[in-house]
Amino acid sequence: MGKQTTEMLKGTLEGIVLAILAVRPAYGYEITARLREQGFSDIVEGTVYALLIRIEQRGLVDVEKVPSEKGPPRKVYSLNGLGREYLEEFWRTWNFLVERIERLHHNIEHLQEEGA
Amino acid sequence: MAAKWIEALTGSLEQKKQFKQYKARIEGLPEPYASAAKAFERYFMYYGGVTDGDTLVRMFGDFADLWERAAVDGTPVAAIVGDDPVEFAETFTQAYGGTRWIDKERARLTKAIEAATGHDGKETKA
Repeated sequence: MGKQTTEMLKGTLEGIVLAILAVRPAYGYEITARLREQGFSDIVEGTVYALLIRIEQRGLVDVEKVPSEKGPPRKVYSLNGLGREYLEEFWRTWNFLVERIERLHHNIEHLQEEGA
Repeated sequence: MAAKWIEALTGSLEQKKQFKQYKARIEGLPEPYASAAKAFERYFMYYGGVTDGDTLVRMFGDFADLWERAAVDGTPVAAIVGDDPVEFAETFTQAYGGTRWIDKERARLTKAIEAATGHDGKETKA
């Protein structure tokens, strides 16, 4: 992924992670793995970890500590009511952005065709 | 600023105890995780600026969790911090919404601009 992708992802990764958690609860590593499966190949675990902590502090997820065979318990994150509200707002904002940017793109292409 | 952090940490006995526990957890990590964790810890002292002890204790606890998990899973350090360790450090600390030294200055700036432009947002022309 290029620099621009990374910059653009910054603002949307929160919504993406909440969307993943809306499917089912997960712990950090699982979320990173699922992001990779979806083609976000450069996402590192630390980024996801910091993001999970942020959404936990903001009360968008519930956290359950689940014992693991080795090492400290794993923190399993699940979307709560507030998180679901936030996610709905994220999709509304996303749709708005997509629509506007597509329109802008279309207009510019149209102008270029006319000018040619 | 580092001194302020230590002061904040030594604020209560309980917090002091928790910080000691955190230190022991970092010491107990295998390499290269221990070195990586300590390097970040140093940066947090300069950058973080969180001034309340509870937030700090929570932050360091989570930070220790991260490295212990990575060590057990054998996740490479690079897979945790990515290409830019500074960015990771800053994103991580920003997640903790405790009081920061900069908050006072932020409030002051907002007030000064309000005073300069009039509180209703309508600028008064001289």
